[in-house]
Amino acid sequence: MFCYQCEQTTRSETGSGCQEVKGVCGKDETTADLQDLMIYGLQGIAQYATRLRKLGEAQPKADEFMLYALFTTLTNVNFNANRFAQLIKETAQWRDQLKSHYQELAAQQGEAVEDLGGPAQWQPAGTMPGLLIQAKEAAINVELAQVGEDIIGLRAMLLYGIKGAAAYAYHALMLGYRDDDIYAGFEQALEFLATHPTDADALLAWALRIGELNYRVMAMLDAANTGSFGAQQPGTVNLAPVKGKAILVSGHDLHDLAQLLEQTQGLGINVYTHGEMLPAHAYPKLKAYPHLSGNYGSAWQNQHNDFTAFPGPILMTSNCLVEPAHAYRQRIFTAGPVGWPGVRHIQNGDFAPVIAAAHALPGFTKDEPEHLINVGFGRDAVMGVADKVIDAVKTGAIQHFFLIGGCDGAAPGRNYFTEVAEQAPDDSVILTLGCGKYRFNSHDFGAIGGIPRLLDMGQCNDAYSAIQVASALAKAFDCGVNDLPLSMMISWFEQKAVAVLLTLLALGIRGIRLGPTLPAFLTPALLAKLSEAFDLKATGTATDDIRDALQKAA
Amino acid sequence: MPEHHITLTTRDGQRLDFSCPDQSDIISAAENTGVLLPSLCRDGGCGACLGHCAEGDYDLGHYNASMLPDESVQRRDVLLCRTYPKTDLQITAPYDYAHINFGRNEARQAVISQLETIAERTMRLRLSWQDEQNGLAVEFEPGQCMELEIPGSGIRRAYSLANTGNWQGEMEFLIRLQPEGRFSGYLSQRANVGQVLNVYGPGGAFGLQADSINPAIFIAGGTGLAPFLSILRRMAEWGEDRVIHLIFGVNRESELFCVDELQGLQQQLPGLTVTVCVWQPETDWAGSSGTPADALQYYLQQQSGDYDIYLCGPPLLVTAATQIAMDSGIAETRIFSEKFG
Repeated sequence: MFCYQCEQTTRSETGSGCQEVKGVCGKDETTADLQDLMIYGLQGIAQYATRLRKLGEAQPKADEFMLYALFTTLTNVNFNANRFAQLIKETAQWRDQLKSHYQELAAQQGEAVEDLGGPAQWQPAGTMPGLLIQAKEAAINVELAQVGEDIIGLRAMLLYGIKGAAAYAYHALMLGYRDDDIYAGFEQALEFLATHPTDADALLAWALRIGELNYRVMAMLDAANTGSFGAQQPGTVNLAPVKGKAILVSGHDLHDLAQLLEQTQGLGINVYTHGEMLPAHAYPKLKAYPHLSGNYGSAWQNQHNDFTAFPGPILMTSNCLVEPAHAYRQRIFTAGPVGWPGVRHIQNGDFAPVIAAAHALPGFTKDEPEHLINVGFGRDAVMGVADKVIDAVKTGAIQHFFLIGGCDGAAPGRNYFTEVAEQAPDDSVILTLGCGKYRFNSHDFGAIGGIPRLLDMGQCNDAYSAIQVASALAKAFDCGVNDLPLSMMISWFEQKAVAVLLTLLALGIRGIRLGPTLPAFLTPALLAKLSEAFDLKATGTATDDIRDALQKAA
Repeated sequence: MPEHHITLTTRDGQRLDFSCPDQSDIISAAENTGVLLPSLCRDGGCGACLGHCAEGDYDLGHYNASMLPDESVQRRDVLLCRTYPKTDLQITAPYDYAHINFGRNEARQAVISQLETIAERTMRLRLSWQDEQNGLAVEFEPGQCMELEIPGSGIRRAYSLANTGNWQGEMEFLIRLQPEGRFSGYLSQRANVGQVLNVYGPGGAFGLQADSINPAIFIAGGTGLAPFLSILRRMAEWGEDRVIHLIFGVNRESELFCVDELQGLQQQLPGLTVTVCVWQPETDWAGSSGTPADALQYYLQQQSGDYDIYLCGPPLLVTAATQIAMDSGIAETRIFSEKFG
């Protein structure tokens, strides 16, 4: 096992990466190795899909399988080794299907059939020990001795960016939004990885191409979310439980939530959001369900406490899942790409088992005092008050914007993001997105001229909204985004945050502060390169970083 | 009264600390601090609370020697329900942290909804929660058990659940009637549909290693089939197939039960194969003859590869089958067992 895809990966003086029998996230060696092997197989699908495209045929179903499979390998998504053994078989089946089709089509068109190697030729072993032997050759660092840590780090950054973007594309797909050009981008990037690239500049250029691709993916997901549920609207969410039967929905998949809300209509069951599902309360067609009751708990890393205390079933629709405690193992359900051995998985959006559990479990026995917070400051809402914002900047009422976005996690260094929010001067506005906000979103930050100082823009993919707002402000002030009085403090944990970071870099955003620790795959040489090109910095202390930020004149 | 500090480390490396008063056993001391360690009979009789004492001195109370043979005692294996610390102890447990419950093991009331003789000296007991105000959830891992209390006696006996976790409040047990058994006596003479029992649990750490990728062999002696039925029923319910060979054995054909259901499960689970064996069959018995241990030996001679072995049944069967598995090269760490008797 070798995995250093997330922020919490093992770090030591002898090198970084989880290499023991179990990673810090709880993923065991077998699962990690099978994930590596499956990704190797996906590159084989990409090898043939790109060739078929040149012959004029897209393979959207194979692409959709690829998105799903990539999503299962994100941090805290799927821990079920037996599931990966099955997915490896399916990967080889898709690859073989594309291979035959490619050979037929090339013959029909009179084109020479390329003799492809590597993943295109790989045959999965028939036994589990055989698969695990093959997996050793599929590890991200297998060529470390030959190509060095910088090239391995660049390949990893590219792969992790692909994974993150695939997760967003999968969410859009669940809402019926797909884009063949985007799928072609995934194929090309995976095909590139299959060539064992060793040119650092080419790898970095590809990473930025994935950043661009992810920008389009986030735009597609934004269209999917707003197209399905309406544009986000500012409003309040109750953090306090109300009396009655209850279901808690965690993760990011708004489609799963919508289906569950539909299936629980009129049953007397209240549905609560958890973690990254909080922004659901801002979408008009979701909040129209009267039983979308409120938000419960906090960020993902506190789920043992939150889920144990919750008196109903829990549905996990995407990351971040951690090993379910005994106290709730029988009443937590997974959906979509998520999985844990011995935990019930819901297929095909039929949430009947979850609903049966909600009826059987006690639910909340009394109303707690209401505790309201604001959500729903997506791009439409902020653009709706753009004149006020621009005036406030012009008059000096708003001196600075801080974008504090990204993931939360257990690392003590994440206090930095709370401290930045708390220490940001009263004449600054804090834009936030992702689950990192749980560290400060129940604080009262007040308002500037009727504009709340804390604007929750949504899920991590709503970085798209933040980019739109920043671009609009830049246009209004006739300057570039880098010239705005805007500082970005990005809290990263997993691969979607890598994709978002690559997007910001691809858009030319400079001076981002990344923390609480830098990715382990960013070697000193790679970091130097990114610092030089984009002024990317590690987070320092809140006080110092705010002081530096404010040196940008409003 | 002096107290001893107990440090218990689970198989997955997590650590628990609690105090144990002098003259208390470890299971009771843990329970008093709200830590419910896996255990069944609490009488030194079932082996469910097996652990290993890495450091410290202790006395062992009375226990069933077939559950803790002399060689195990020599290597400082202990039954935690019969372990009385004399100093601070370091204990290692053969189960994961997730198998430990926290809170109080309080009784709930369930009513007998069905009582049926399904084979010679074998009964099926079905219970339903009666105290609906606590919800109807029956939450347990397949392989776990509940303790049932004989009404008015305070005497409890642990039995494996044969059904799956459910939200209708239903529990199913397969119970072998023992000639001198207290619960057997109650069940065969006094129990009636509609009677209310106190139920404690779930408990126990026996069950499928869900994260294993090895094919599994289940060896069930008599009502030792119950935990395997629970596992297989859940796999069928969830649509989760795995490669499993079940060996189910009884002494006489008249003691067979659930054979039709096992055939039905094979239809739903293509990875499941079943051998039903009878130790002393009638002349027209067309199935396998001998004990489940014999059938295991035969099966392993025909196969190669890594297996997980799961055993549930009388101590003699479990001991014999364990030895056969180990002689076939299966690591002790891949053998999981629960004895009853």
